[in-house]
Amino acid sequence: MIEMPSPVATAGTVALLEARGIHKRFGSLVANDGVDLTVAAGEVHAVLGENGAGKSTLMKVVFGLYPADGGTIKVDGVPVAMTSPSVARAHGIGMVFQDLRLVPALTVTENVSLALPLRGPRLDRRRLARTIEEAAERYGLAVDPQATVRELSIGERQRVEILKVLLTGARLVILDEPTSVLAPQEVDDLFAGLRTLRDRGLSVVVITHKLAESRAIADRLTILRAGRLVEHAVDPASRSDAELIEAMVGRHVKPLSTSRPAPARTATAAVSLRDVSVREPRRGALLAGVSFDVQPGELVGVAGVAGNGQLPLYEVILGLRRVSGGTVAVQGVDLGRATARRALAAGVVGVPEDPLADAVVPGLSVFEHVALDDLAGVRRRLGIDWAKVRARYNASNASSELRAASGERGLQSLSGGNVQRVMLVRALGAPAGLIVAAYPSRGLDIATTRRTQELLLQRRSEGCGVVLISEDLEELFELSDRIVVLHGGAVAGIVEPATSDRYEVGRLMLGAQHHEGATLAMTGSGAP
Amino acid sequence: MSEEGISAGTSTTLDSHEGLGPSATPVTSGTLAPSADGSSLPGASLLGSSVVSDVEAVSPRAALWSQTIRVGLALLGALVLFAVLMAAKGVNPLVAYADMARSTFGDTTSLGGILVRATPIVLASLAVAVPARAGLINVGGEGQLIMGGVAAMGVSLGLDGSVSPPLTLVLMALASMVVGGLWSGLAALLRLWVGISESVTTLLLNYIAFDLLAFLIFDRWKDRQGSGQPATRALGEGERLARLGGSRVHLGIVIAVVATVVIYAVFKATSLGFRLRVVGGNPEAARRSGLRVGALLVTAMIIGGALAGLGGFTQLAGAEFKLRGSFIVGYGYIAFLGSWLARHQPIGVLASCLLLSGIAIGGDSLQLDAGLPAASVHVLSALLLLGVFGFARKRGVVT
Repeated sequence: MIEMPSPVATAGTVALLEARGIHKRFGSLVANDGVDLTVAAGEVHAVLGENGAGKSTLMKVVFGLYPADGGTIKVDGVPVAMTSPSVARAHGIGMVFQDLRLVPALTVTENVSLALPLRGPRLDRRRLARTIEEAAERYGLAVDPQATVRELSIGERQRVEILKVLLTGARLVILDEPTSVLAPQEVDDLFAGLRTLRDRGLSVVVITHKLAESRAIADRLTILRAGRLVEHAVDPASRSDAELIEAMVGRHVKPLSTSRPAPARTATAAVSLRDVSVREPRRGALLAGVSFDVQPGELVGVAGVAGNGQLPLYEVILGLRRVSGGTVAVQGVDLGRATARRALAAGVVGVPEDPLADAVVPGLSVFEHVALDDLAGVRRRLGIDWAKVRARYNASNASSELRAASGERGLQSLSGGNVQRVMLVRALGAPAGLIVAAYPSRGLDIATTRRTQELLLQRRSEGCGVVLISEDLEELFELSDRIVVLHGGAVAGIVEPATSDRYEVGRLMLGAQHHEGATLAMTGSGAP
Repeated sequence: MSEEGISAGTSTTLDSHEGLGPSATPVTSGTLAPSADGSSLPGASLLGSSVVSDVEAVSPRAALWSQTIRVGLALLGALVLFAVLMAAKGVNPLVAYADMARSTFGDTTSLGGILVRATPIVLASLAVAVPARAGLINVGGEGQLIMGGVAAMGVSLGLDGSVSPPLTLVLMALASMVVGGLWSGLAALLRLWVGISESVTTLLLNYIAFDLLAFLIFDRWKDRQGSGQPATRALGEGERLARLGGSRVHLGIVIAVVATVVIYAVFKATSLGFRLRVVGGNPEAARRSGLRVGALLVTAMIIGGALAGLGGFTQLAGAEFKLRGSFIVGYGYIAFLGSWLARHQPIGVLASCLLLSGIAIGGDSLQLDAGLPAASVHVLSALLLLGVFGFARKRGVVT
């Protein structure tokens, strides 16, 4: 008397998405090695793993962007050949990418219309706007359909992307690192929206490397490490943080030591900015009245939502951009009509935000890149003393600590993470009085990130001034002596980690009005 | 929650910004970087093991082989295509090719002809290669050759035998380099100061150089005692480059080879060569490393122009002996192709220029023996180059 399962019950147990044994290779690299992913209807599922663990690859296979080398994908229990994103969309799978793909000059409605199949020659804006409003209401993703995308915050743009995906009929929304560009408050809003989606019976997959966030939002977790499946669809409540970290990293990571010497108070600051402003013809004020000092032996963090003046600040201190007003002095040397040459000579080194664009020279080896910043120091008659470059690089503390690539390798052929290591070795190994690091742990795994942080602290305790530009508030709170918060190119506030918290910094990042820094921002941007 | 801070890592732009899919996969020359995500996989996150084990670099020898085979196939394809064209014109391609080969390699006279032809082309080709390594496109080889010849002739006319012939010859060579360098340097300065692309200005300067040459030979420098043809007087016997072993081949080819080796050494071993490569590879990286990008660009262009100017000198003092309208006929453009064919590698430039000169000489046989129109040789050269450019490179790679 075996009871046959009823069709309804079967439908209930069949997963919305079931990927089994996914293999994906890139050349000699195995990005996914037999990975499974099961997503039920009406759940938020986090795919957790470090940078390079294969999370994005897996989701791009599921979304049909990469053809799989092996494995099966079933939607509602039916095998599907995911040959392209349009196949994925036809099966109700949509993806929101980290770099949002909206046209800034168009309105929300127009952007959404781009994603929808055209019906007839005329775009019925009013009806589409109504549809968007209804969906926004239904899923708790508030946006104004008439707004031009350029005027929207990153959080709002993300909501538009999600709505776009939903309006194309998605039942499963994949989000790739959705929180990396958001302030803490915006993260809360996003998560509230995702919960609403779940409560309406839709499924959400969040790709993330942040444990706390996956705990906050996910019903179940899948953990990848180095392309392999470590945990499959586990309930986060059944694992401790330590267990999950070990699953991601494969080894326990020591926390940073918290005791460190106080910064020196010397006559000459490592860098001193006074009322620095940068204006550009069409883009307006990129920096507005920024003033702060970094003492030798002090680590000053710079927080802000991406695009609020971090990069102009980096460029100004490194002599890459001329200031429109105010002064920048590196170790007492006024950069004046700045050139990178002058700044380097004054003793500043940088870890660039975008090494591929700003530091990697195609065809040159790691050694050659290391020599580049200090050509005068390694000159030998007409040529370059490569033996000296080699010896310096190989003997560098940072190069062994960070396990940087062998110096003969072409830098261009290395992965993002390994390029970043070389950038770090170059900056941390230089005999500089000031290090300006823009997002130094980008692309690095947890253990290397930790070592990078230790090396920054080590340079700090050796008396080097450090400016750390980061999107990671945890990192800023752990490492900084002070945190400068930028908003709209102005200093929204300077806080001490001991007497502040992430939410205060988050408020300042979003341009809270109650702080005197915020008024500075307004007068600054209004100045001629 | 003590580990929360640890897990809250950083942004992963490097991890996943290639989200556009296969079409956005970065294609790089030499080794392939399949995707930032994939390529950081094996080592980057396995802590215990050696961390650095990215995409294995293709071994240089294997790369060279595959490149050689690709180029060979591309050249073969071009020859086959040209054979079809010849057949369409009613010429037996096999016979034509055999005649071509015989007349090119058959005797020492034609081999010498190749070397004579190649001399200014090699120097003008280096004039393309040096700026190209610094990221500049010099289309002005033709004009720089002409200006070098004009300067050399000017010295000869100006001194008019007032100093000893060997000294005159040296001064002619120096003047050709200075004027050639100034001619191309002007284009570099226009780019830096006014922002006009050097590929446009160098091309336009070619026309000006030719007009200047025409003005001089028709008017100011015209040899009044001559046959009435628009040409200058000939150089004196002592103001000519020595010939090698009684052939037509002159000292110019030695100068061209030495120049090639010197340029090779500059890029191989000197700080200047290194800095030029950095500027050419990534000017922003160069700027951020404190290099004087503008000065380096001008330097590269001046070196190039000086080499082409020297080429004009060798053509004047070694082959032509006087300025006339056909003093330089398209050598600068052949040189341009020669440099691109060799990816601006000096030794390769030498080889490709010899090849192109050989085709030009062999092309004469197409006219004489096979009765094909004179333009045929241009068609053949173009096919060979398109073949190499079109098939021998990885798709999407622009050198």
